[in-house]
Amino acid sequence: MNVLILGGNGMLGPWAVKAMKERHDILLTDINEPYPEYKGEYQKLSADDVDGVVKAAEGMDVIVNLSVLRPDRQFAFDVNMMGNYAMMVAAREHRIKRVITTGPHYQMAGQQYEEWDFDLIPDMPPAPGTRLYAHTKALGQEICRVFSARHGIQLITLLYYNMKHSWNLGGPEAPPVYHDDMVPYSTAWQDCGTAVQAAVEVPEERLATRSETFFILPDLPHGKFNNEKTKRVLGWVPRYHVEGLWNKEYRQPDSNLTEAF
Amino acid sequence: MNLLITSAASATAQLIAAALGEKHTLRLTDLSRKASGDIVSNELGHGSETDDLLAGIDTVINIGYQGQSGSAAHLMDYHTRRMYNLLQAASDAGIARYINVSTLRLYEDHEENLVVTEKWRTDPSAEDTELLAAHMAEYVCKEFARDRLIQVANLRLGWPFDGTGVGETAAISSDLIGAAVEEALISEELGQWQDIHVQSQVARQRFITKTAATLLPGLAGRLSS
Repeated sequence: MNVLILGGNGMLGPWAVKAMKERHDILLTDINEPYPEYKGEYQKLSADDVDGVVKAAEGMDVIVNLSVLRPDRQFAFDVNMMGNYAMMVAAREHRIKRVITTGPHYQMAGQQYEEWDFDLIPDMPPAPGTRLYAHTKALGQEICRVFSARHGIQLITLLYYNMKHSWNLGGPEAPPVYHDDMVPYSTAWQDCGTAVQAAVEVPEERLATRSETFFILPDLPHGKFNNEKTKRVLGWVPRYHVEGLWNKEYRQPDSNLTEAF
Repeated sequence: MNLLITSAASATAQLIAAALGEKHTLRLTDLSRKASGDIVSNELGHGSETDDLLAGIDTVINIGYQGQSGSAAHLMDYHTRRMYNLLQAASDAGIARYINVSTLRLYEDHEENLVVTEKWRTDPSAEDTELLAAHMAEYVCKEFARDRLIQVANLRLGWPFDGTGVGETAAISSDLIGAAVEEALISEELGQWQDIHVQSQVARQRFITKTAATLLPGLAGRLSS
Protein backbone atom coordinates (compact mmCIF):
# COMPACT_ATOMS: atom_id res chain seq x y z
CA MET A 1 0.00 0.00 0.00
CA ASN A 2 0.94 3.62 -0.42
CA VAL A 3 1.16 5.14 3.05
CA LEU A 4 1.46 8.85 3.80
CA ILE A 5 2.91 9.57 7.24
CA LEU A 6 2.41 13.02 8.75
CA GLY A 7 4.72 14.12 11.54
CA GLY A 8 7.02 11.19 10.88
CA ASN A 9 10.19 12.59 12.45
CA GLY A 10 9.04 12.54 16.04
CA MET A 11 9.65 9.83 18.59
CA LEU A 12 7.21 7.30 17.17
CA GLY A 13 7.84 7.85 13.46
CA PRO A 14 11.11 5.92 13.12
CA TRP A 15 9.59 2.88 14.83
CA ALA A 16 6.53 2.97 12.61
CA VAL A 17 8.77 3.29 9.55
CA LYS A 18 10.93 0.41 10.72
CA ALA A 19 7.86 -1.79 11.11
CA MET A 20 6.46 -0.95 7.68
CA LYS A 21 9.27 -0.02 5.30
CA GLU A 22 9.67 -3.49 3.78
CA ARG A 23 5.92 -3.97 3.43
CA HIS A 24 4.59 -0.66 2.11
CA ASP A 25 5.59 2.34 0.03
CA ILE A 26 5.99 5.18 2.48
CA LEU A 27 6.00 8.93 1.91
CA LEU A 28 7.36 10.40 5.12
CA THR A 29 6.54 14.03 5.88
CA ASP A 30 7.43 16.32 8.73
CA ILE A 31 8.08 19.97 9.42
CA ASN A 32 11.67 19.06 10.36
CA GLU A 33 14.38 17.38 8.32
CA PRO A 34 14.38 13.59 8.45
CA TYR A 35 16.78 11.54 10.51
CA PRO A 36 20.04 11.02 8.58
CA GLU A 37 19.50 7.28 8.64
CA TYR A 38 16.19 7.52 6.79
CA LYS A 39 16.63 6.58 3.13
CA GLY A 40 13.06 6.61 1.81
CA GLU A 41 10.85 9.22 0.19
CA TYR A 42 10.52 12.40 2.20
CA GLN A 43 8.71 15.70 1.89
CA LYS A 44 8.95 18.68 4.19
CA LEU A 45 5.40 19.46 5.24
CA SER A 46 3.61 20.82 8.27
CA ALA A 47 0.67 18.64 9.29
CA ASP A 48 -1.63 21.64 9.58
CA ASP A 49 -0.97 22.80 6.01
CA VAL A 50 -4.32 21.74 4.58
CA ASP A 51 -3.46 22.34 0.93
CA GLY A 52 -0.06 20.70 1.31
CA VAL A 53 -1.48 17.63 3.00
CA VAL A 54 -4.18 17.31 0.33
CA LYS A 55 -1.50 17.44 -2.34
CA ALA A 56 0.76 14.93 -0.61
CA ALA A 57 -2.13 12.52 -0.13
CA GLU A 58 -2.79 12.08 -3.82
CA GLY A 59 -2.47 8.41 -4.75
CA MET A 60 -2.27 7.22 -1.16
CA ASP A 61 -4.18 4.30 0.31
CA VAL A 62 -3.72 5.20 3.96
CA ILE A 63 -2.78 8.34 5.89
CA VAL A 64 -1.07 7.97 9.26
CA ASN A 65 -0.89 11.05 11.45
CA LEU A 66 1.86 10.84 14.06
CA SER A 67 2.23 14.59 14.53
CA VAL A 68 2.38 15.87 18.09
CA LEU A 69 3.11 19.16 19.73
CA ARG A 70 2.59 19.64 23.43
CA PRO A 71 3.79 22.71 25.30
CA ASP A 72 2.95 25.76 23.18
CA ARG A 73 -0.72 26.62 23.09
CA GLN A 74 -0.84 28.00 19.55
CA PHE A 75 1.19 25.16 18.07
CA ALA A 76 -0.65 22.53 20.08
CA PHE A 77 -3.93 23.54 18.47
CA ASP A 78 -2.32 23.93 15.05
CA VAL A 79 -0.69 20.52 15.06
CA ASN A 80 -2.86 18.34 17.25
CA MET A 81 -6.21 19.59 16.00
CA MET A 82 -5.70 21.20 12.60
CA GLY A 83 -3.36 18.37 11.60
CA ASN A 84 -6.25 15.95 11.87
CA TYR A 85 -8.54 18.37 10.08
CA ALA A 86 -6.06 18.55 7.19
CA MET A 87 -5.79 14.75 7.14
CA MET A 88 -9.55 14.29 6.94
CA VAL A 89 -9.99 16.92 4.23
CA ALA A 90 -7.30 15.11 2.24
CA ALA A 91 -8.95 11.73 2.79
CA ARG A 92 -12.27 13.14 1.65
CA GLU A 93 -10.76 14.80 -1.42
CA HIS A 94 -8.96 11.67 -2.59
CA ARG A 95 -11.49 9.14 -1.33
CA ILE A 96 -8.87 7.53 0.87
CA LYS A 97 -10.59 4.81 2.82
CA ARG A 98 -8.46 4.56 5.93
CA VAL A 99 -6.80 7.05 8.24
CA ILE A 100 -4.86 6.36 11.40
CA THR A 101 -4.40 8.92 14.10
CA THR A 102 -2.38 8.67 17.28
CA GLY A 103 -2.39 10.36 20.63
CA PRO A 104 -2.12 10.05 24.38
CA HIS A 105 -4.42 7.82 26.42
CA TYR A 106 -5.95 10.79 28.20
CA GLN A 107 -7.46 12.30 25.10
CA MET A 108 -10.04 9.64 25.90
CA ALA A 109 -9.40 8.42 29.44
CA GLY A 110 -8.93 11.72 31.21
CA GLN A 111 -8.25 12.27 34.87
CA GLN A 112 -11.74 11.40 36.01
CA TYR A 113 -11.32 7.90 34.58
CA GLU A 114 -7.67 7.29 35.35
CA GLU A 115 -7.77 8.34 38.97
CA TRP A 116 -10.94 6.47 39.85
CA ASP A 117 -11.41 3.39 37.69
CA PHE A 118 -9.88 0.13 36.53
CA ASP A 119 -10.27 -2.07 33.47
CA LEU A 120 -10.52 1.00 31.27
CA ILE A 121 -11.39 0.14 27.68
CA PRO A 122 -10.92 2.18 24.52
CA ASP A 123 -14.63 2.34 23.73
CA MET A 124 -15.49 4.75 26.52
CA PRO A 125 -16.83 8.20 25.68
CA PRO A 126 -13.90 10.63 25.56
CA ALA A 127 -13.45 12.75 28.67
CA PRO A 128 -10.20 14.59 28.04
CA GLY A 129 -10.73 17.58 30.29
CA THR A 130 -8.79 20.78 29.76
CA ARG A 131 -5.11 19.79 29.93
CA LEU A 132 -3.69 21.25 26.75
CA TYR A 133 -2.22 18.11 25.21
CA ALA A 134 -5.19 15.88 25.97
CA HIS A 135 -7.70 18.54 25.01
CA THR A 136 -6.19 19.44 21.66
CA LYS A 137 -5.69 15.82 20.70
CA ALA A 138 -9.28 15.06 21.66
CA LEU A 139 -10.49 17.90 19.46
CA GLY A 140 -8.51 16.39 16.61
CA GLN A 141 -10.07 13.01 17.20
CA GLU A 142 -13.54 14.53 17.30
CA ILE A 143 -12.97 16.14 13.91
CA CYS A 144 -11.91 12.74 12.60
CA ARG A 145 -15.04 11.16 14.06
CA VAL A 146 -17.33 13.67 12.37
CA PHE A 147 -15.65 13.22 8.99
CA SER A 148 -15.67 9.46 9.41
CA ALA A 149 -19.38 9.45 10.20
CA ARG A 150 -20.19 11.67 7.25
CA HIS A 151 -17.93 10.15 4.63
CA GLY A 152 -17.47 6.56 5.71
CA ILE A 153 -13.73 6.96 6.11
CA GLN A 154 -12.33 4.21 8.33
CA LEU A 155 -10.79 5.89 11.35
CA ILE A 156 -8.38 4.01 13.58
CA THR A 157 -7.11 5.80 16.66
CA LEU A 158 -4.09 4.41 18.49
CA LEU A 159 -3.59 5.68 22.02
CA TYR A 160 -0.30 5.51 23.87
CA TYR A 161 0.86 6.59 27.27
CA ASN A 162 4.40 5.81 28.39
CA MET A 163 6.97 4.64 25.86
CA LYS A 164 10.07 2.75 26.95
CA HIS A 165 13.36 1.76 25.40
CA SER A 166 13.44 -2.00 25.24
CA TRP A 167 17.10 -2.20 26.23
CA ASN A 168 16.95 -0.41 29.58
CA LEU A 169 13.26 0.43 30.10
CA GLY A 170 14.07 4.11 30.25
CA GLY A 171 11.97 6.76 28.58
CA PRO A 172 12.93 9.40 26.08
CA GLU A 173 12.88 12.14 28.67
CA ALA A 174 13.78 10.25 31.83
CA PRO A 175 16.33 7.66 32.96
CA PRO A 176 15.12 4.17 33.77
CA VAL A 177 13.57 3.57 37.16
CA TYR A 178 13.26 -0.06 38.13
CA HIS A 179 11.09 -1.83 40.66
CA ASP A 180 9.02 1.22 41.47
CA ASP A 181 5.51 2.53 40.98
CA MET A 182 5.47 2.49 37.17
CA VAL A 183 2.95 3.98 34.78
CA PRO A 184 0.52 1.08 34.33
CA TYR A 185 0.42 1.67 30.59
CA SER A 186 4.01 1.37 29.39
CA THR A 187 4.98 0.09 25.97
CA ALA A 188 8.29 -0.58 24.24
CA TRP A 189 9.01 1.66 21.27
CA GLN A 190 9.30 -1.30 18.92
CA ASP A 191 5.80 -2.41 19.84
CA CYS A 192 4.47 1.11 19.42
CA GLY A 193 5.71 0.93 15.84
CA THR A 194 4.29 -2.49 15.07
CA ALA A 195 0.90 -1.30 16.31
CA VAL A 196 0.89 1.28 13.51
CA GLN A 197 1.70 -1.48 11.05
CA ALA A 198 -1.14 -3.59 12.46
CA ALA A 199 -3.56 -0.69 12.07
CA VAL A 200 -2.52 -0.15 8.45
CA GLU A 201 -2.95 -3.82 7.63
CA VAL A 202 -5.95 -4.96 9.69
CA PRO A 203 -8.66 -6.27 7.35
CA GLU A 204 -11.72 -4.05 7.18
CA GLU A 205 -14.06 -6.88 8.13
CA ARG A 206 -12.43 -7.11 11.56
CA LEU A 207 -13.38 -3.55 12.40
CA ALA A 208 -16.84 -3.35 13.92
CA THR A 209 -17.47 0.33 13.15
CA ARG A 210 -16.04 3.10 11.00
CA SER A 211 -14.32 4.58 14.04
CA GLU A 212 -12.28 2.26 16.23
CA THR A 213 -9.89 3.15 19.04
CA PHE A 214 -7.19 1.02 20.63
CA PHE A 215 -5.05 1.17 23.75
CA ILE A 216 -1.51 0.14 22.80
CA LEU A 217 0.04 -1.58 25.78
CA PRO A 218 1.29 -5.07 26.57
CA ASP A 219 -0.24 -7.34 29.19
CA LEU A 220 0.40 -5.65 32.52
CA PRO A 221 -0.74 -6.92 35.88
CA HIS A 222 -2.18 -3.69 37.24
CA GLY A 223 -5.62 -4.10 35.67
CA LYS A 224 -5.86 -0.38 35.00
CA PHE A 225 -6.06 -0.32 31.21
CA ASN A 226 -7.42 -3.16 29.09
CA ASN A 227 -5.67 -4.21 25.87
CA GLU A 228 -7.92 -7.15 24.98
CA LYS A 229 -9.53 -5.42 22.00
CA THR A 230 -6.17 -4.39 20.61
CA LYS A 231 -4.87 -7.94 20.57
CA ARG A 232 -8.13 -9.44 19.34
CA VAL A 233 -8.99 -6.99 16.57
CA LEU A 234 -5.61 -5.73 15.40
CA GLY A 235 -3.89 -9.05 15.98
CA TRP A 236 -1.11 -7.04 17.57
CA VAL A 237 1.37 -9.11 19.57
CA PRO A 238 3.79 -7.07 21.69
CA ARG A 239 7.29 -8.49 22.00
CA TYR A 240 8.19 -6.68 25.18
CA HIS A 241 6.30 -6.81 28.44
CA VAL A 242 8.50 -4.46 30.47
CA GLU A 243 8.64 -6.94 33.36
CA GLY A 244 11.63 -5.19 34.86
CA LEU A 245 9.32 -2.33 35.80
CA TRP A 246 6.71 -4.33 37.61
CA ASN A 247 8.78 -7.05 39.29
CA LYS A 248 10.85 -6.53 42.38
CA GLU A 249 14.57 -6.94 42.11
CA TYR A 250 15.57 -10.53 41.43
CA ARG A 251 16.07 -12.46 44.63
CA GLN A 252 16.91 -16.11 44.88
CA PRO A 253 14.50 -17.82 47.26
CA ASP A 254 16.12 -19.15 50.40
CA SER A 255 14.74 -22.58 49.82
CA ASN A 256 15.53 -22.73 46.11
CA LEU A 257 13.21 -25.15 44.30
CA THR A 258 11.56 -26.34 47.44
CA GLU A 259 9.59 -23.15 47.54
CA ALA A 260 7.52 -24.52 44.73
CA PHE A 261 6.01 -27.20 46.96
CA MET B 1 -24.20 42.61 35.81
CA ASN B 2 -21.01 43.27 33.92
CA LEU B 3 -21.17 41.23 30.75
CA LEU B 4 -18.65 40.45 28.04
CA ILE B 5 -20.10 39.71 24.61
CA THR B 6 -17.76 38.17 22.02
CA SER B 7 -17.92 38.41 18.22
CA ALA B 8 -19.67 41.66 18.93
CA ALA B 9 -19.76 42.85 15.33
CA SER B 10 -21.97 39.91 14.38
CA ALA B 11 -25.70 40.19 13.91
CA THR B 12 -26.37 37.75 16.76
CA ALA B 13 -24.21 39.69 19.20
CA GLN B 14 -25.77 42.99 18.20
CA LEU B 15 -29.21 41.60 18.78
CA ILE B 16 -28.28 40.30 22.22
CA ALA B 17 -26.49 43.51 23.14
CA ALA B 18 -29.56 45.53 22.21
CA ALA B 19 -31.70 43.34 24.45
CA LEU B 20 -29.39 43.46 27.46
CA GLY B 21 -27.93 46.94 27.20
CA GLU B 22 -30.45 48.74 29.37
CA LYS B 23 -30.19 46.46 32.39
CA HIS B 24 -26.51 45.51 32.26
CA THR B 25 -23.10 47.00 31.67
CA LEU B 26 -21.75 45.56 28.45
CA ARG B 27 -18.21 45.10 27.23
CA LEU B 28 -18.24 44.24 23.55
CA THR B 29 -15.27 42.59 21.90
CA ASP B 30 -14.24 41.20 18.54
CA LEU B 31 -11.10 40.50 16.56
CA SER B 32 -9.20 43.56 15.44
CA ARG B 33 -10.24 43.22 11.83
CA LYS B 34 -13.89 43.53 12.85
CA ALA B 35 -13.77 45.79 15.86
CA SER B 36 -14.87 49.40 15.57
CA GLY B 37 -16.74 51.99 17.62
CA ASP B 38 -17.64 50.62 21.05
CA ILE B 39 -16.20 47.22 20.28
CA VAL B 40 -12.93 46.46 22.03
CA SER B 41 -10.37 44.83 19.77
CA ASN B 42 -8.98 41.58 21.15
CA GLU B 43 -7.45 38.55 19.47
CA LEU B 44 -8.31 36.19 22.34
CA GLY B 45 -4.73 35.04 22.56
CA HIS B 46 -3.19 33.24 25.51
CA GLY B 47 -1.42 36.30 26.84
CA SER B 48 -2.43 38.85 29.41
CA GLU B 49 -4.61 40.81 26.99
CA THR B 50 -7.36 38.24 27.37
CA ASP B 51 -7.04 38.39 31.16
CA ASP B 52 -7.38 42.16 30.94
CA LEU B 53 -10.47 41.83 28.76
CA LEU B 54 -12.17 39.84 31.50
CA ALA B 55 -11.33 42.12 34.42
CA GLY B 56 -14.48 42.89 36.37
CA ILE B 57 -16.73 40.73 34.21
CA ASP B 58 -19.46 38.65 35.88
CA THR B 59 -20.58 36.53 32.93
CA VAL B 60 -19.31 35.86 29.42
CA ILE B 61 -21.74 35.61 26.52
CA ASN B 62 -19.96 33.89 23.67
CA ILE B 63 -21.34 33.75 20.16
CA GLY B 64 -20.56 30.16 19.28
CA TYR B 65 -22.19 30.10 15.87
CA GLN B 66 -21.95 32.58 13.01
CA GLY B 67 -20.12 35.12 15.08
CA GLN B 68 -17.18 34.93 12.72
CA SER B 69 -16.64 34.56 9.01
CA GLY B 70 -13.69 33.61 6.87
CA SER B 71 -11.73 30.54 5.87
CA ALA B 72 -12.29 27.09 7.30
CA ALA B 73 -8.95 27.33 9.07
CA HIS B 74 -9.94 30.63 10.71
CA LEU B 75 -13.32 29.34 11.84
CA MET B 76 -11.84 26.19 13.31
CA ASP B 77 -9.08 28.12 15.04
CA TYR B 78 -11.44 30.73 16.46
CA HIS B 79 -13.92 28.24 17.83
CA THR B 80 -11.33 26.00 19.45
CA ARG B 81 -8.03 27.67 20.35
CA ARG B 82 -9.45 31.11 21.04
CA MET B 83 -12.38 29.63 22.94
CA TYR B 84 -9.90 27.66 25.03
CA ASN B 85 -7.98 30.86 25.76
CA LEU B 86 -11.15 32.72 26.69
CA LEU B 87 -12.46 29.94 28.90
CA GLN B 88 -9.09 29.50 30.59
CA ALA B 89 -8.86 33.22 31.31
CA ALA B 90 -12.47 33.33 32.50
CA SER B 91 -12.00 30.43 34.87
CA ASP B 92 -8.72 31.89 36.12
CA ALA B 93 -10.59 35.13 36.82
CA GLY B 94 -13.19 33.27 38.86
CA ILE B 95 -16.03 34.01 36.48
CA ALA B 96 -18.80 31.65 37.44
CA ARG B 97 -20.89 31.39 34.31
CA TYR B 98 -20.32 31.30 30.58
CA ILE B 99 -23.20 31.38 28.12
CA ASN B 100 -22.41 29.80 24.78
CA VAL B 101 -24.85 30.81 22.05
CA SER B 102 -25.01 27.86 19.72
CA THR B 103 -27.51 26.57 17.18
CA LEU B 104 -30.16 23.92 16.76
CA ARG B 105 -28.89 23.49 13.23
CA LEU B 106 -26.56 20.92 14.76
CA TYR B 107 -29.61 18.65 14.48
CA GLU B 108 -30.84 19.80 11.09
CA ASP B 109 -30.20 16.46 9.39
CA HIS B 110 -32.62 14.71 11.74
CA GLU B 111 -36.08 14.25 10.27
CA GLU B 112 -38.60 16.78 11.51
CA ASN B 113 -40.93 14.17 12.94
CA LEU B 114 -38.36 13.13 15.54
CA VAL B 115 -38.78 14.53 19.04
CA VAL B 116 -35.26 15.91 19.31
CA THR B 117 -34.37 17.18 22.77
CA GLU B 118 -31.24 18.04 24.71
CA LYS B 119 -30.73 14.33 25.31
CA TRP B 120 -29.98 13.73 21.63
CA ARG B 121 -26.43 13.74 20.33
CA THR B 122 -25.70 16.49 17.85
CA ASP B 123 -24.84 15.48 14.31
CA PRO B 124 -22.80 18.27 12.72
CA SER B 125 -21.94 18.42 9.07
CA ALA B 126 -18.31 17.96 8.07
CA GLU B 127 -18.90 20.16 5.02
CA ASP B 128 -20.47 23.22 6.62
CA THR B 129 -17.50 24.58 8.51
CA GLU B 130 -19.63 27.08 10.44
CA LEU B 131 -21.58 24.18 11.88
CA LEU B 132 -18.53 22.03 12.50
CA ALA B 133 -16.91 24.97 14.26
CA ALA B 134 -20.02 25.49 16.40
CA HIS B 135 -19.84 21.84 17.39
CA MET B 136 -16.17 22.16 18.28
CA ALA B 137 -16.87 25.27 20.38
CA GLU B 138 -19.41 23.26 22.35
CA TYR B 139 -16.81 20.52 22.83
CA VAL B 140 -14.27 22.97 24.27
CA CYS B 141 -16.88 24.50 26.58
CA LYS B 142 -18.04 21.13 27.83
CA GLU B 143 -14.53 20.10 28.91
CA PHE B 144 -14.15 23.25 31.00
CA ALA B 145 -17.47 22.46 32.62
CA ARG B 146 -16.45 18.82 33.09
CA ASP B 147 -13.34 19.95 34.94
CA ARG B 148 -15.60 22.21 37.03
CA LEU B 149 -13.64 25.28 36.10
CA ILE B 150 -16.70 27.22 35.01
CA GLN B 151 -20.44 26.68 34.59
CA VAL B 152 -21.59 26.68 30.97
CA ALA B 153 -25.11 27.29 29.73
CA ASN B 154 -25.20 26.13 26.12
CA LEU B 155 -28.13 27.82 24.41
CA ARG B 156 -28.95 26.20 21.09
CA LEU B 157 -31.12 28.68 19.23
CA GLY B 158 -33.55 27.94 16.45
CA TRP B 159 -33.24 29.29 12.93
CA PRO B 160 -33.83 31.50 11.06
CA PHE B 161 -34.05 34.54 13.28
CA ASP B 162 -37.44 36.25 12.91
CA GLY B 163 -38.46 33.86 10.19
CA THR B 164 -42.16 33.72 9.45
CA GLY B 165 -42.19 31.77 6.23
CA VAL B 166 -43.87 28.48 5.59
CA GLY B 167 -41.61 25.63 6.55
CA GLU B 168 -39.55 27.69 8.95
CA THR B 169 -40.43 25.30 11.71
CA ALA B 170 -37.38 26.03 13.87
CA ALA B 171 -37.65 29.81 13.74
CA ILE B 172 -36.91 32.03 16.70
CA SER B 173 -37.80 35.66 17.25
CA SER B 174 -35.23 38.26 18.14
CA ASP B 175 -37.00 39.18 21.34
CA LEU B 176 -37.02 35.55 22.46
CA ILE B 177 -33.27 35.34 21.88
CA GLY B 178 -32.67 38.34 24.10
CA ALA B 179 -35.05 37.04 26.74
CA ALA B 180 -33.44 33.59 26.72
CA VAL B 181 -29.97 35.02 27.29
CA GLU B 182 -31.31 37.29 30.04
CA GLU B 183 -32.89 34.32 31.77
CA ALA B 184 -29.73 32.25 31.39
CA LEU B 185 -27.85 34.99 33.22
CA ILE B 186 -29.96 34.72 36.32
CA SER B 187 -31.33 31.18 36.42
CA GLU B 188 -30.41 29.24 39.55
CA GLU B 189 -31.52 25.96 38.06
CA LEU B 190 -28.64 25.24 35.72
CA GLY B 191 -26.24 22.31 35.89
CA GLN B 192 -22.49 22.60 35.48
CA TRP B 193 -22.99 21.90 31.78
CA GLN B 194 -26.46 22.76 30.63
CA ASP B 195 -27.82 22.37 27.12
CA ILE B 196 -30.99 24.38 26.52
CA HIS B 197 -32.96 24.40 23.26
CA VAL B 198 -34.90 27.55 22.43
CA GLN B 199 -37.20 28.33 19.54
CA SER B 200 -40.43 30.23 19.09
CA GLN B 201 -43.90 28.81 19.04
CA VAL B 202 -44.60 28.30 15.36
CA ALA B 203 -46.78 26.07 13.26
CA ARG B 204 -45.45 22.49 13.22
CA GLN B 205 -42.81 23.49 15.75
CA ARG B 206 -39.68 21.40 15.19
CA PHE B 207 -37.99 21.35 18.61
CA ILE B 208 -39.70 21.04 21.95
CA THR B 209 -38.64 23.57 24.55
CA LYS B 210 -39.61 21.92 27.79
CA THR B 211 -36.14 22.23 29.28
CA ALA B 212 -36.06 25.94 28.58
CA ALA B 213 -39.50 26.39 30.14
CA THR B 214 -38.32 24.56 33.25
CA LEU B 215 -34.88 26.07 33.70
CA LEU B 216 -35.64 29.55 32.41
CA PRO B 217 -39.01 30.15 34.06
CA GLY B 218 -39.25 33.72 32.83
CA LEU B 219 -39.71 32.32 29.33
CA ALA B 220 -42.40 29.85 30.20
CA GLY B 221 -45.29 31.86 28.85
CA ARG B 222 -43.53 32.40 25.56
CA LEU B 223 -42.70 28.79 24.85
CA SER B 224 -44.92 25.96 23.80
CA SER B 225 -45.83 23.60 26.59
